Amino acid sequence: MNKIILVLKNELVAVTARRSFVLTLLLVPVISFVVFFVLSALNRNTPDLLTSVFSPPQNQAVEGYVDQSGLIKSLPDSVKPGTLIRYASQADARQAMADGKIKDYYIVPPDYLASGKITYVRIDFNPISGLDQTGTFQDVLDYNLLGGNSSLAAKFQNPLDLQQVSLAPAPQREQNNALTFFLPYAVTFLFYFVILAASGLMLNSITTEKQNRVLEILMVSITPTQMLAGKIVALGIVGLLQTLVWSGTGYFLLRLSGQTFNLSSAFQLPPSILAWGVLYFLLGYAIYASLMAGVGALVPNLREASQATTIIIMPLIVPLVLISALINDSNGVLAVVLSLFPLTAPVTMMTRLAAGNVPLWQTALAALLMVGAAWLILRSVSNLFRAQTMLSGQPFSARIFLRALFARQAQA
Amino acid sequence: MTTVEVEHIRKTFGSMCAVDDVSFDVEKGGIFGLLGPNGAGKTTSIRIILDIFKPDGGRVAILGGPMTEAKKNLIGYLPEERGLYQDISLERCLTYLATLKGLSRSEARQRIEPFLERFDLADHRKKKLKELSKGMQQKAQVIATLVHRPQLIIIDEPFAALDPLNTQMVKDILIEQRDRGATIIMSTHQMHQVEELCDRLVLINKGKAVLYGKLDTIRREFSGHDVLVRTPGAIPPLPGVIESKPHNGSVRLSLAEHTTPQDILRELVQQNVPLEQFEIAMPTLDEIFIQIVRDSGERE
Repeated sequence: MNKIILVLKNELVAVTARRSFVLTLLLVPVISFVVFFVLSALNRNTPDLLTSVFSPPQNQAVEGYVDQSGLIKSLPDSVKPGTLIRYASQADARQAMADGKIKDYYIVPPDYLASGKITYVRIDFNPISGLDQTGTFQDVLDYNLLGGNSSLAAKFQNPLDLQQVSLAPAPQREQNNALTFFLPYAVTFLFYFVILAASGLMLNSITTEKQNRVLEILMVSITPTQMLAGKIVALGIVGLLQTLVWSGTGYFLLRLSGQTFNLSSAFQLPPSILAWGVLYFLLGYAIYASLMAGVGALVPNLREASQATTIIIMPLIVPLVLISALINDSNGVLAVVLSLFPLTAPVTMMTRLAAGNVPLWQTALAALLMVGAAWLILRSVSNLFRAQTMLSGQPFSARIFLRALFARQAQA
Repeated sequence: MTTVEVEHIRKTFGSMCAVDDVSFDVEKGGIFGLLGPNGAGKTTSIRIILDIFKPDGGRVAILGGPMTEAKKNLIGYLPEERGLYQDISLERCLTYLATLKGLSRSEARQRIEPFLERFDLADHRKKKLKELSKGMQQKAQVIATLVHRPQLIIIDEPFAALDPLNTQMVKDILIEQRDRGATIIMSTHQMHQVEELCDRLVLINKGKAVLYGKLDTIRREFSGHDVLVRTPGAIPPLPGVIESKPHNGSVRLSLAEHTTPQDILRELVQQNVPLEQFEIAMPTLDEIFIQIVRDSGERE
């Protein structure tokens, strides 16, 4: 036990005294604060700045239309004068577009009421944003189809004006605020990054000792298990410190934003998410740091490890790839499955917690499954953590790694 | 009393047999030579003794039994592949390694200090290891091996990368360690170093122990029927001498089968030849090794 503590202390000092570590630890909050204060200063003068930054308003281009059906009697008040010009014929509209007077035009055919078809003519081809501005003409059609009644047209376009009331205990988010949208993304990326960074420290530590050729001396002073235990705990503490500093900064900024951005008090993240965050970080770290330790035990140097780490971090990337689906349906089947599967759980569960309410049994079950997985992986990796394997200097082989990982303890 | 007992150890890596049925004992308080050319199996044998590698067969008893965690604190090991933490200061590195051997931090610092002074490293204690020369790092590694006053010291090629001055200093330190009662196993391919320091040895070639015992006994066993004679003038013709040839300022006389060195000495005295040197010619370990390797090659 005493030697585990010695390894632990040495690792703690070695990592935290590294200039790159201190810089990363401090620079992330400092940059966040700078960005936050710049944004909040701008926001004071321009409300809804964030929304406008991420969803800039479209400039209203001038459009034309040719009404062969006689449906369009007048334009609603919402259409700015001069932005939608009527042309008598297609030739006039096409000439106007060629002269640059209009960006595009619509042709409402004589049989529109029967067919519902309208031709839309524009110069460029852009399937993604090509229909961005067609909403104006749709408003015009709705308005005229409903006999020129503006209020009826508004009801027709938005018939379901919900006032949401949730009986769930956790605070709800203001749906229209940009921060509400970005919060789960931020939490997901934060967790992906801290777990990856902390387990990467483990890989770095082991390969450095191999490259420094100090491993053989250590093997005559401590057991491989003592070394593994000391490193896992020490680098876990380092990662936890990093997580707490970064997520604490994020939480503090969010609290501050509640005042600065004048959000409703219900927007705040519940403090329980921090507690769950610490737990899921530790468990996620235990799983991935053990896997990285296994790779570190096999590879002769850090360069050789890149292929192996790519395979190992795949499950950690899955929630990032599916993040939109997870956020949009945070209690759907996909989200629940990924948040219970131990390799994807640490990031996915935090995404779900940040996006909405998660039943307590699911958070607890995910934690239990992760504890089990971490224990199994740690036990398997200790098979690899033998002096002979570590000193052999053989190139990394996925076959050897997987065989050792899934070998039974008795065979070690 | 034996400190290390090695019985019939065997180790293979894939199809290569690195150590094949090697046995030897290392007695307490002596310097034992583990000899052999590069790739003979010396380092693998050491790793088996230290329980770093598990043997495929055979048994090792160290300090009275199998290796335990407590015994690790009583062992000092200087591996052939030198290495220390490159990104931390010399003092911190030595202190950490000493604490892993059971010393408290303050005790470690106290023990390290005189070594730093003796090895001319005191002014470099705050420097990172990577800023030190190869020779300095070698000396630092010797300190890490000895600082906890081990009962058993195992050193693999201890004089590599050392200049003659530091080589002599390390030799002196090894003799001091032996004199305080430590047992030393010195692995090297430099036979003359063993002749100077070791009292017993095992010679390994291609994984097999080909020679084992006391240095004097081995040399005597391999000594031929030759004497070395040095006189101020020319040596007169002597009965029973079949060949004479110069040898490092002396003359090496090869004697006929039934002629003894005493017969030659008596004849020289009778002829009134002034003698500066008269000794039985002992082969060097290099010569013995070459002879053994040649013989085993011929047998194969």
